[in-house]
Amino acid sequence: MPLYEGYTSDKNVVIFDFGAAYTKCGVAGEMCPRCIIPSQLKDQKTGKIKQIWEYNTEDELYENLKDFLFILYFRHILINPKDRRMVVCESLLCPEIFRETLAKVMFKHYEVGSVLFSPGHLTAMLTLGTNTGLVMDVGYNETLVIPIYEGIPVIKALQSLPVASKAIHQRMKEMLLSNGKVKTGNEEYSLSDKPELLTEEILEDIKVRCCFTTKWDRAKKIHDVTLYGADISNLPSPPPSVHYPLDGGSILVIDGTIREQVCEVMFEQDNEQVSVTTLLLDAIIQSPIDMRVELSQNIVILGGTALLPGFLHRIQMELLDLIKQPRYSNVLALKKFRYHQAPAKSNYTSWLGGSMIGSLETLPSKSVSRDQYTESGKLSDWCNLATVGQS
Amino acid sequence: MAGTLSLPDSEVVQYLCACKKWNSIYRLYICRRCFKIRCGDCVLHEVDSPYCPNCLENMPSAEAKLKKNRCTNCFDCPSCGHTLTTRATSQMIPNPDDPGKSTPKKMYYLACGFCRWTTRDVAIPDKPIASGAWEDMENPDAARISTLLEHYQLLAQKEKVEKERKKYSRRRSHLMYAASMDKYGLVSVAAKRKGLISAGPNPTIKENEEINIKTIKEAVTVEEFPPLPDEIFTEPIQLTKKTSISQRLAMSEFQPSEAVELYPRRKHLLIRRSLRCKECEHNLSKPEFNPLSIKFKIQLIALLYIPEIRVVPPGELKYKKDTKIVLTFSNPVNTNTKIQFIQAEGNEGEKVTAKIELPKKELVLAHRDVPAMYADMPAQQDFKDDSSVVSFRKANKLGIIFKVTPLVQEGDVKVCFVLKHDYLNTAATLPSENEEPEIVWLEHRVTVNLGPVTSSK
Ligand SMILES: Nc1ncnc2c1ncn2[C@@H]1O[C@H](COP(=O)(O)OP(=O)(O)O)[C@@H](O)[C@H]1O
Ligand SMILES: [Zn+2]
Ligand SMILES: [Zn+2]
Ligand SMILES: [Zn+2]
Ligand SMILES: [Zn+2]
Repeated sequence: MPLYEGYTSDKNVVIFDFGAAYTKCGVAGEMCPRCIIPSQLKDQKTGKIKQIWEYNTEDELYENLKDFLFILYFRHILINPKDRRMVVCESLLCPEIFRETLAKVMFKHYEVGSVLFSPGHLTAMLTLGTNTGLVMDVGYNETLVIPIYEGIPVIKALQSLPVASKAIHQRMKEMLLSNGKVKTGNEEYSLSDKPELLTEEILEDIKVRCCFTTKWDRAKKIHDVTLYGADISNLPSPPPSVHYPLDGGSILVIDGTIREQVCEVMFEQDNEQVSVTTLLLDAIIQSPIDMRVELSQNIVILGGTALLPGFLHRIQMELLDLIKQPRYSNVLALKKFRYHQAPAKSNYTSWLGGSMIGSLETLPSKSVSRDQYTESGKLSDWCNLATVGQS
Repeated sequence: MAGTLSLPDSEVVQYLCACKKWNSIYRLYICRRCFKIRCGDCVLHEVDSPYCPNCLENMPSAEAKLKKNRCTNCFDCPSCGHTLTTRATSQMIPNPDDPGKSTPKKMYYLACGFCRWTTRDVAIPDKPIASGAWEDMENPDAARISTLLEHYQLLAQKEKVEKERKKYSRRRSHLMYAASMDKYGLVSVAAKRKGLISAGPNPTIKENEEINIKTIKEAVTVEEFPPLPDEIFTEPIQLTKKTSISQRLAMSEFQPSEAVELYPRRKHLLIRRSLRCKECEHNLSKPEFNPLSIKFKIQLIALLYIPEIRVVPPGELKYKKDTKIVLTFSNPVNTNTKIQFIQAEGNEGEKVTAKIELPKKELVLAHRDVPAMYADMPAQQDFKDDSSVVSFRKANKLGIIFKVTPLVQEGDVKVCFVLKHDYLNTAATLPSENEEPEIVWLEHRVTVNLGPVTSSK
């Protein structure tokens, strides 16, 4: 039994982080989530899988969240929701409708006692024991970078780019459809003849088991060819291909170039010269001058996509290279960067911070109680991050 | 063919729940205290009696909480999720009395009968005892997390003490959000700059309240991350040696990428749920403690108390044409049930597409009588049924004739009415008391979908 559980004032506080792809859920004061499960539901009638974030109306979202929370509470956490406290680590970009609908489900349907909504970027800082950092979250839908200075998010410096794991899966699909081959016995055909074979699960599995973020020197050669039209002979020799088994005895041949190149979608600087790496520097530039050095020495990287082999090293190499280029060296006098390593895997670091907040005696005074919610009928009066951050 | 019912049975007849949702009777409960129909959305679900689905051992809730809802004896395969079984083998170990010889000793390991994974695959040594020897892996960051948590806990206590002492009465405002981080080292600078939050904590502490907070060891930062190993560009990968995302996430603290790092997982407990009426907190469903039993101590499903309605497939249903249809009513209880029909007033979200004429007289559903259900005989009691209203009577079932006039030229013919029936409330009286059980009348708003209207062409 972990030592510190004795400090938890209330062992029934449930901590949630509803990610676009994965939801992390567990109990306050514990060191890791009890479960990390896909943020999806199976339709009872049709058996179809549905993402909880997929909704057309508020009612649909309400039903999604109601059903999803049911599974979390009664299948995974096994704690009664009624009158109990909960903490939600949310993205800074979390749409208001999501938060309001979640609050409605929590308070009205499950009758929870109180809810604390806390931005995941901030809670992640708690796991480090510091309050200043340049926080990057590379999740499923997007990459978000926000400086936090002495505990306050510098909202005006927030940077985001819609590339993360979803874009990697998309890129992989394009590459596989253009040159992927399937072998069944002695037969061989193009994957593009049967594109339905490539489900999101398979794409993710290929990414997780076969792909990596390549080294910076190789990536430069790859970009020369894929982005700037250099001759294909300039490509570094690719890693070995992989024979990936599909259902029904077929084999999908995944070329080494796919293994090496799919992650490049995050690092290719588009027309505006933005990539996940430049977001870090751009966020520093957008921050007040007196914060910049400190931010550069306290980079924090969150999100499951950062767990891909080679990702962190690549960021490190690119930052050192970019900072020498005129567009940055002219404005930033930085030479090196330092990175935090949270006592957690990067996909649940925010959750761990939530677990810490949730175990403190002061939780009740920071949360919105059911009575307060019932009185005002909505949440927005209680937590409005935008107003706080703008200073 | 006209009148074919394409909807599943459960969607043909819908009852209005107390929470104003329409539901099939198969999914409804009834509260015997407030006599209201309840659905899954308006009952309170509660965690009841955790048990292990493998060894079927019950675990008291408090212990289950402590064990993080995991069985102490059973393990799942970290590779495929099936239950692992304990296997015994004999190993030769050096004899302590005679070092030159070895003696056999019984040793145990865990194996998956489904995917053949074993603890030996991942170099976990066999254990000398059959159970209880498989320790959990330790989180490598446990010490740091505990230190931080202790630190924040002290700060929080200090804050609480100061607040109470000062009778801190700052109104909650939108600043609460910033304040939620306040003093856990995440002080709201911006708010302070604006002078919106009173200056930092007052360093004076109550005489008897010595809270001394040491600064914690600063977080260590690094300048470099390890590069990819060079082999990744030259060595072929063996897919089976790489873990899948679900295998990783099932071990959230470790998320190993290599299959050799997989470790047996303690089996997750299941619970039985009990249900309460949200209004009066009366139990609607309570499972037996014994996990082997599928019985319930209390199980107030509506189907056991409210007449069930089924549609006898009608013939043609034509626009504006009066048609006789038959609905079957089955009595679920062991006493006769009186039923009446009332026209539905107003609208509760139903989409009515036909007029319905209801029998005016009260009718009686014969009690449910188990032997009679098998013997295909007419009911013993004489109900003097009026053949203009009753189409047939068979045991506890009664086919009742209604006149329906479709008001649409296409789509489904849907009618709505209120079914009223009496109900012997045996729950209110204790069997020892010689009182007559109370009779209550219950009303249910019901919609029936009779299927598509026959096109007039
Ligand atoms: N241990 C891991 N190894 C490799 N990839 C991972 C791991 N954990 C998560 N991922 C990948 O990271 C992506 C983002 O995960 P996560 O940060 O949990 O997303 P979000 O919070 O946006 O839902 C997922 O698509 C998943 O494939
Ligand atoms: Zn209901
Ligand atoms: Zn068990
Ligand atoms: Zn297995
Ligand atoms: Zn009730």
